[in-house]
Amino acid sequence: MAAEKWVFMVTAQTPTNIAVIKYWGKRDEVRILPVNDSISVTLDPDHLCTVTTVSVSPAFDRDRMWLNGKEISLSGSRYQNCLREIRSRAGDVEDKEKGIKIVKKDWEKLNLHIASHNNFPTAAGLASSAAGFACLVFSLAKLMNVDEDLSHLSAIARQGSGSACRSLFGGFVKWKMGSREDGSDSVAVQLEDEKHWHELVIIIAVVSSQQKETSSTSGMRESVETSLLLQHRAKEVVPKRVLQMEEAIKNRDFASLTQLSCADSNQFHAVCLDTSPPIFYMNDTSHRIISLVEKWNRSEGTPQVAYTFDAGPNAVLIARNRKVAVQLLQGLLYYFPPKSDTDMRSYVVGDTSILKEAGLDGANSVESLQPPPEIKDNIGSQDQKGEVSYFICTRPGRGPVVLHDQTQALLDPETGLPK
Amino acid sequence: MAEEKNWVLMVTAQTPTNIAVIKYWGKRDEVRILPINDSISVTLDPDHLCTLTTVAVSPSFDRDRMWLNGKEISLSGSRYQNCLREIRSRGDDVEDEVKGIKIGKKDWEKLHLHIASYNNFPTAAGLASSAAGFACLVFALAKLMNVNEDPSQLSAIARQGSGSACRSLFGGFVKWNMGKKEDGNDSVAVQLADEKHWDDLVIIVAVVSSREKETSSTSGMRESVETSLLLQHRAKDVVPIRILQMEEAIKNRDFTSFAKLTCADSNQFHAVCMDTSPPIFYMNDTSHRIISLVEKWNRSAGTPEIAYTFDAGPNAVLIAKSRKVAVELMQGLLYCFPPKADTDMKSYVLGDTSIVKEAGLEGREVPQEIKDKIGCQDQKGEVSYFICSRPGKGPVVLQDQTQALLHPQTGLPK
Repeated sequence: MAAEKWVFMVTAQTPTNIAVIKYWGKRDEVRILPVNDSISVTLDPDHLCTVTTVSVSPAFDRDRMWLNGKEISLSGSRYQNCLREIRSRAGDVEDKEKGIKIVKKDWEKLNLHIASHNNFPTAAGLASSAAGFACLVFSLAKLMNVDEDLSHLSAIARQGSGSACRSLFGGFVKWKMGSREDGSDSVAVQLEDEKHWHELVIIIAVVSSQQKETSSTSGMRESVETSLLLQHRAKEVVPKRVLQMEEAIKNRDFASLTQLSCADSNQFHAVCLDTSPPIFYMNDTSHRIISLVEKWNRSEGTPQVAYTFDAGPNAVLIARNRKVAVQLLQGLLYYFPPKSDTDMRSYVVGDTSILKEAGLDGANSVESLQPPPEIKDNIGSQDQKGEVSYFICTRPGRGPVVLHDQTQALLDPETGLPK
Repeated sequence: MAEEKNWVLMVTAQTPTNIAVIKYWGKRDEVRILPINDSISVTLDPDHLCTLTTVAVSPSFDRDRMWLNGKEISLSGSRYQNCLREIRSRGDDVEDEVKGIKIGKKDWEKLHLHIASYNNFPTAAGLASSAAGFACLVFALAKLMNVNEDPSQLSAIARQGSGSACRSLFGGFVKWNMGKKEDGNDSVAVQLADEKHWDDLVIIVAVVSSREKETSSTSGMRESVETSLLLQHRAKDVVPIRILQMEEAIKNRDFTSFAKLTCADSNQFHAVCMDTSPPIFYMNDTSHRIISLVEKWNRSAGTPEIAYTFDAGPNAVLIAKSRKVAVELMQGLLYCFPPKADTDMKSYVLGDTSIVKEAGLEGREVPQEIKDKIGCQDQKGEVSYFICSRPGKGPVVLQDQTQALLHPQTGLPK
C-alpha cells in the first residue's frame, strides 16, 4: 500500500425524481420491498440535485458523513445496509499518479468520509432522500470501482430509501417490485431517456405549509396496517396502470400520461385518507391548483397539464410543451402572486427562460397580468398571496454523473474534511 | 264528496334530518334511487334541526303547487313526480265529519295538492335538507291521504325523492337496507334502536365556512360510480362487514367501536371522492384541523371519547360519548375556533344551549388540560357557528294549527 496519508475522492451529482405511478406501502420493511411497481420522471439536476463527495483514506479513523454542512450519524440501518452492500462489491482501485493502490479486501478495513449537499431545501418536501441515497451509492460505486450496472446499484440504493433506486437513471424510470424475498429483483430500469420526450416542461409549486407532515416511512406503514383500500389498489389497480403508463410514455401520449398521473396521485392521497389516523398531505392550496388544472384541461378539450403530489402539499405540474408551460406559469402567477416584498427572481427559480417568455421577469409584471382566457371560471379570489412559497421550472433530466471538476468537491482533497 | 268545493283539508308534520355513520355513496339504479351498499344513520333531534311541512288538498286547487322556505318551486322533476305518484296510488278513504269532508280512495288522483315546507336551518349549511324535506313530504301526505303503510314502506317512497330521506322516517338509529329486488321494494329503512336507547350521546355540528360551491351529492356519487376504481371494492368488501360491526356497536352501546367505524367510514367515503375523476374535495383545511383535534383528543384520553363524520361538505358532525365529554369538547372547540369579535355567542352556538352554559364563560377560561388535549391555534372565522343536538325522534304530526304553513281557508302560504 502507498503512504498512509493519501486521500482518494470522487464527486458525483444525482437528480431527484417524481413518481407518476406511486410507491406507497412496503411488503418488507427491512429490505424496503414495495407492494407494487412504480414509475417516475427524473428531474433535471441543473435545477434540483444532490452533490456528494466520497473519500477514503487510511488516515480516517471512522466512517463520517456531513449532510448540508452538518455532521450526521451513519448508525441507522439504512446507511449501514447501503455501506455494507456497496463495500462487499468493491473491486481493485489504482491511481498511478497518486501512487494509490487499493485491493478488494482492503475496503472492509478502510473508513469513508462523505459529504452531501442538496441544492434545494429539505423542508421543501422535494424527495431529498431519494437523490441523497442514489448519489451516495453511485459515488461509492465509482470510488470503489464496483463492477455492476445501474440496475444492480439501484437495488442497493433502494435499501437506503425506496424511491432512491429510481434516481439511478435519467428520463422515465420503472421500479419493479420484484417477487424474490431477498429483493435482488426489486430494481429500477430505464423506460426511456430524457431526450425521448423533451418537450415536456415541469413546474413545481412549493406550497407553504404550517403543518409538520407525517413522514413517508411511517405514513406508508400505517396505510399498510390500516387502510382497507390499499391492497386492492396494489393488486388490482396499479398493475394495469403501470402497463398503460409504459405505453403512454413510449408513444408520447400526453392525454394518457395526464389521465394516469392525476388519477394515481389522487388515489395515493385517497389511501392516505383511508388510513387510521387519516393522513392529509394536500391542503386547500393544493386543491385549488388541482381545480385550476382540471378546469383548464376540460376547457381545452384535451389535457394540457398533468399534476401529481407526493407526501406533501407541493404540486408537480407537467405541461405538454413549452407554449402550454408559458400559459400555465402566467395562470399560476395570476392566481398565486408573490407577496409585495418578493423579488420575481426568488419567486420563480430553475429554468427562468419560461418566465422570460411569459414576459414576467420585470419588476411590476405581475400586476399587469390578466386572468387567463383558458380558465373561464374563477378559482376563488385572485389574491392568494403567500400560499405558494416559490415555483421551480424544470424538465425531464439525465441520470447520475461523476463531476470531474475538483472545485465542486465538498471535501478538502488534503484533509478529507468538509471545505 | 262534500257539496262545497272550497273545503281545505290540511296536515302539518315535522321531520328530523339524519347523519350517516356508515355512508351511502353510489347508486346501482339512478331512477329508483337504489344504492350499492347498506347505510346506517343517527337521527338528529328535530327540536334543533327539522323540516316542517304542511300539505293541503282542496277541490278548489287547480294544480299541484309547492313552496319551499317561502319560495314557490317546480314539482315537475322526476323525484317529486315519483313520490307524488307513489303516495297517491296508496291514498285511502278520508272522512272529516266536523268539516263535512269525505274523500274516496279514487278521488285522490283527481285532487290537487298545495305543499309548503320549511327548514329551520339554512340550506347552504349543507345539513341534508333534502333528506328531511322528502321524508316530511311523504310522511305528511301519508297522514293526509290516510295511507295504510308502516314507516318502512313509506321510506321506500321517500327514497325515490332523495336516497337518504328514507332514513328520516325513524328516530334513533336507522339502517337503509340496500335490497336486491329490481323494483326496489325491499330497499327500505328500518329502525335499529330508538332515540332513548343511547341518550348519553351529544352531537355537536360545526358549520364550517366555505367559499367553494360544492359538487352536488347526486352528480358526485354518479361520477364516483363511473370513475373510482376503489368504490366497488368498498361497496362489496368493506361496507358489509362494517354494517354488521356497527349494528353490534349500537346494540351494545360500544362507543369505542362506534367511533372507530364512524371515523373510518367517513374517511373512506372522502377517499373515494378523491379517487373520482375529476377529484371531489368536500373537506377543507378547517375540516382537517377538526379531525386532528379529535384524533389527538382520543389518543390522549386513551380510549375514543369523540367520533367525527363528514358528509358531502366541510361541516363536522362530532358525537361525544357523554355530556361531560361534550362540555369539554365545546370548551376546546370555542378555544380553537373562537367567534369573531363582533359575534354574539347566542348566534354562535345554537340548538341545545345548555351545553355551552355548562361550558361556562364563553370558552375564555379554558382549563389547561383541555388546551393540552388539543394543541391548536386561534382560528377566527373558520367556523360559522355550532349546533348542539342529540339523537332524536322520528316524524310526528303537529296538531297545533298555528304551526301550519298554509292558510286553512285559502291553502296558500301564510
